[in-house]
Amino acid sequence: MLHLLVITHEKDRVTGLKVERLGETSAASTISYLDNAVVYVGSSYGDSQLIKLNLQPDSKGSYVEVLESFVNLGPIVDFCVVDLERQGQGQVVTCSGAFKDGTLRIVRNGIGINEQASAELPGIKGMWSLRASSKDVYDTFLVVTFISETRILAINAEDELEETEIEGFDSDAQTLFCQNVLHDQLIQVTASSLRLVDAISRRQLNEWRAPPGLSINVAAASSSQVLLATGGGHLVYIEIGQRELIEVKHVKLEYEISCLDINPVGEDPDRSYLAVVGMWTDITARIFSLPNLELLTKHSLGGEIIPRSVLFCTFEGIPYLLCALGDGHLFNFILDVNTGQLSDRKKVSLGTQPITLRTFRSKNATHVFAASDRPTVIYSSNRKLLYSNVNLKEVNYMCPFNSASFPDSLAIGKEGELTIGTIDDIQKLHIRTVPLNEHARRIAHQEATRTFAICSAKYIPTVEDMETHFVRLLDDQTFENIASFQLDAYENGCSIISCSFTDDNNVYYCVGTGYAIPEESEPNKGRILVFLVEDGKLQLVAEKETKGAVYNLNAFNGKLLAAINHKIHLYKWTLRDDGTRELQSECGHHGHILALFVQSRGDFIVMGDLMKSISLLIYKPEEGAIEECARDYNANWMSAVEILDDDIYLGAENSFNLFTVRKNSDAATDEERSKLEVVGEYHLGEFVNRFRHGSLVMRLPDSETSQIPTVIFGTVNGVIGVIASLPQEQYMFLHKLQQNLVKVIKGVGGLSHEQWRSFSNERKTVDAKNFLDGDLIESFLDLSRSRMEEISTAMSVPVEELCKRVEELTRLH
Amino acid sequence: MWQMVGRRETGRLPPHKFRALLQKTRLYSIELAGHKEIASAHKSGVNSLQIDATEARYLLSGAADGSVAVYDIEQATAYDHSTRTSKHEALFMVDKRVLNGHLYSVSCVHWYPIDTGIFVTGSFDNFVNVWDTNTTQVELQFNMSKKVYSLSMSTLATTHMLIATGTDDTRIRLCDIASGAFTHTLSGHRDSVWVVQWSTRSEWVLVSGGCDGAIRFWDIRRAGCYQILDQQCSQIGRRPPVLKKSSRTHGREDNLCTKYLNASSPIRQRGQKRSFGISAVDSRTAHYGSVAGLQMTADGLHMISAGTDSRLRLWDVESGCNTLVNYPSTYIRGNKGIQMAVTPDSSLVFTPSLNAILVYDVWSGHSYSSLRGHYDQVNCCAFHPQGQELYTGSNDRKILVWAPRRPIDIDNFDYEDAEQAIKADEDAWSD
Repeated sequence: MLHLLVITHEKDRVTGLKVERLGETSAASTISYLDNAVVYVGSSYGDSQLIKLNLQPDSKGSYVEVLESFVNLGPIVDFCVVDLERQGQGQVVTCSGAFKDGTLRIVRNGIGINEQASAELPGIKGMWSLRASSKDVYDTFLVVTFISETRILAINAEDELEETEIEGFDSDAQTLFCQNVLHDQLIQVTASSLRLVDAISRRQLNEWRAPPGLSINVAAASSSQVLLATGGGHLVYIEIGQRELIEVKHVKLEYEISCLDINPVGEDPDRSYLAVVGMWTDITARIFSLPNLELLTKHSLGGEIIPRSVLFCTFEGIPYLLCALGDGHLFNFILDVNTGQLSDRKKVSLGTQPITLRTFRSKNATHVFAASDRPTVIYSSNRKLLYSNVNLKEVNYMCPFNSASFPDSLAIGKEGELTIGTIDDIQKLHIRTVPLNEHARRIAHQEATRTFAICSAKYIPTVEDMETHFVRLLDDQTFENIASFQLDAYENGCSIISCSFTDDNNVYYCVGTGYAIPEESEPNKGRILVFLVEDGKLQLVAEKETKGAVYNLNAFNGKLLAAINHKIHLYKWTLRDDGTRELQSECGHHGHILALFVQSRGDFIVMGDLMKSISLLIYKPEEGAIEECARDYNANWMSAVEILDDDIYLGAENSFNLFTVRKNSDAATDEERSKLEVVGEYHLGEFVNRFRHGSLVMRLPDSETSQIPTVIFGTVNGVIGVIASLPQEQYMFLHKLQQNLVKVIKGVGGLSHEQWRSFSNERKTVDAKNFLDGDLIESFLDLSRSRMEEISTAMSVPVEELCKRVEELTRLH
Repeated sequence: MWQMVGRRETGRLPPHKFRALLQKTRLYSIELAGHKEIASAHKSGVNSLQIDATEARYLLSGAADGSVAVYDIEQATAYDHSTRTSKHEALFMVDKRVLNGHLYSVSCVHWYPIDTGIFVTGSFDNFVNVWDTNTTQVELQFNMSKKVYSLSMSTLATTHMLIATGTDDTRIRLCDIASGAFTHTLSGHRDSVWVVQWSTRSEWVLVSGGCDGAIRFWDIRRAGCYQILDQQCSQIGRRPPVLKKSSRTHGREDNLCTKYLNASSPIRQRGQKRSFGISAVDSRTAHYGSVAGLQMTADGLHMISAGTDSRLRLWDVESGCNTLVNYPSTYIRGNKGIQMAVTPDSSLVFTPSLNAILVYDVWSGHSYSSLRGHYDQVNCCAFHPQGQELYTGSNDRKILVWAPRRPIDIDNFDYEDAEQAIKADEDAWSD
């Protein structure tokens, strides 16, 4: 809310103060008046805005017009890593903002399309771009086909798309394929015929008609060849000459053909010596030699889903065969150009709908666009195929459209719409905002019911400091509020998890709360609420009163581990005589100042205390007791903890530092065993609120990087970062690289990198150890060649090798 | 608490402020810790306590029977489930049975500032002993030939390893651990030196307080003392009023104080008489009576002194001015110095006063509480900066732990037990 304070004065005397309401903006942390009634509202709790103050109020009585918003993720109070599309790529859903600007933000890796133009065109069945002549650099025509007609769009002098005609084309039939071919000619394939058209005069030169009774189903062409498939499994190979079409070969296959491609992958860009055909019925991909159509390879794809699109393409000099199925899966093979043999079969899931594959070029590299319900760009980096989401909802068809007015653009056919847009850089984070209008404090995702549950606080500015707290259930696709549960007055939701218990198949949401009575410094009452999601409703199944705020909840071997004030408590889920269930306290552990952060793994519990660093506790099932086995004796004020692996635990500390401690289970003396040894220290410069295991990039099962575990963290300033546990060898290598980089890359203002990254709090300052600065190392790729070589000589490792290793690292996030 | 954590999470409360705020609220709720108990190994009054600076984990205590003990204050040796108290027994104790052990009362103990491998003790048997923690043997002895009241090692020092000692002699001597010899003799005090303390700002500056009521600053690189604090000097550049008028300026002080002033006047007059022949500067005093305790704040800019005139004074170290903060009077008697403690953020000072420990706000002099629990005169306080715990030693042979109030462990079944335990606790301490 923005108000204007008017100070009226007469000469030196102030005669009155008046506050005038201007309108609503983000909660401002800073306001600067720029000029011409344009004001920048900087906000640390919501998006910063550039606003214009109008002289006249709009219909709602607001003088404020938002010109631009700048996305701000901070403060990230909590987040979870989920794979909503179930395709192996994590998305981060953060609880961002505060007060009325509270939002959920969905952050994911993806490629953005910047829309340049769009038109309503329902029922698109295919698109191709054509050049006016073979010598043209830019595309002129965009052929769009529908069920029973074909329209040709062209860019006119006013840079507008306008419908034109190519005389030789059959405009009353659906086009199956069209392309520029040799000798300044065009081809158009329709269900009944193949037409050859002169590109200059646009008149039909020749026509090949399908045999009577058979219609052409699919077609593909290179500059000099056409391959057609007609009903009944006929495969026809036609060569294009000057003003003529020569049918060279005709074979009949035993099944119907679903898709084919003859994109040239060999040396000759105009002529392909291989053809790939996807088959109905036996679900195979077959490779034929051209021009004699001999079967070279038959590769069964397995399953019952037919291939819908096949494509030859070359990435970084390596020929691949991509084969997309009707259910959104994609196979890729490495192709031997001479023998047609396929090797290195890999399968990934890109979406759930049939995929159409098309190649396009962007920034001088070939990419493949897989149009489906989850459009994806396939590209290659360091001889590895990578998949990146495009942040469009659903794309049916796509073709590159490199016109003079829209250079390097793509024409994208969506449901009922044609869009022309340019594509972003590959691998960019995409952020989606779900406004809540209230402050989300905790979030949990439940796979079984496909829902999110959040603890949120609605802040009512009119009532002084009065907040109402809710547990809300959201759909994980639409983010619609399905159900809400209002907490008692002064009751705050402090923690939430989704978990299941032993002897019970249901998955529950457990919510820990605390009563924050204003006069009490420490909440001494709280509840654990157990909810079951049934028919989109939150059903309160059980409730357990606690003597303090439940700061943390953890699923613990089918039980529930709660951190209540300075105590850790284990609850088991028991069946009462009347069939209802309840939480029953089993055992506890105390002696902490405030058990704020708890993580568990197996029987081990890692606890981050408010001010006493990390302790490791162990649950002994035989004795039914929790005991402390080791702790870090440094007095770190914790802000988050996470378990990296069985022995190493990660902590974030009040003075913006990170550190790792190691359990010394095989140490000789009790004294050493009871001590968590500090192994890594690092100054992050950000206040970490939460660690979670997970990754924002798609983890391909075959890549090396998938073996590296990563932890994502979210900070007060809205930073999302990744911490990866590198293997020793890689660490040593990159550490050496970092040391060399520090000598070459100078910090802003000549500040020392080493000094900045050294662990420093009120008590001590020590050099960073066992942590690497990924940002610094990745900046290697931005260096000039000579600088790279300088480092390469210092390291005595070739530049290419260095680049490869660093790029490997970049693919972790 | 939950709100504060929430405010820190959203960035409304900067982490350092969160920390300071929490520490302060915890400090103000300090009380006798029900959950921690130090089993004192001493058979007589505890004279001196110190927590090591490196790990803040080991507590060193020296007692009047000549014994010195070390306790682990983090890791309990035993845990009593019924009362939920962790018991900390001494890791080891050394007394006169050890070769070269102290024969008489140990007046002061000090950890070696760099690590916990060495500690230093001073005793009324005229010796300063340097001990090896691991072998618990005396490694080095300095014969001071007078009772040792106080010793100090600089936590800042990087170039020297000197132990400053205040003894019954008027001279302060600095003992070098490296060579085993005396390197300096600082003379200036006119009576025994009860307290010495290194500055927390410079490794060369030493402060001492003696029975003559003077507080002297020494720079060990120069000869002689460079500053003597004057209680009358409260403004920079202003001439201190003539000493004789001093009793009148303090006239509005409470009765007890004036009574005590009169009682201690012979000492003062004796000091003045002697000083007439020398110089006016030399005769400045910080307290009427002996200076019994000195404690510098963590930043080294201010210093608090306690005297047997029942006053605490806060000094601005740079200018040497008395800040005239009016602390309610304490009661300090005895024939040796006391140990005060100041919190690391310099907000509170803990000072022993008879059987209690008084808690004052450093800057306003406001009295927050009086910690009562000891049965006899309290000699020393040591503050644990990370846990906000206070350890105190007294003539009743006990070491008590004072910690911020913690919500009592109450959970369904043991609720009543706990309440009983608290009641029992209360009974035990109401004297």
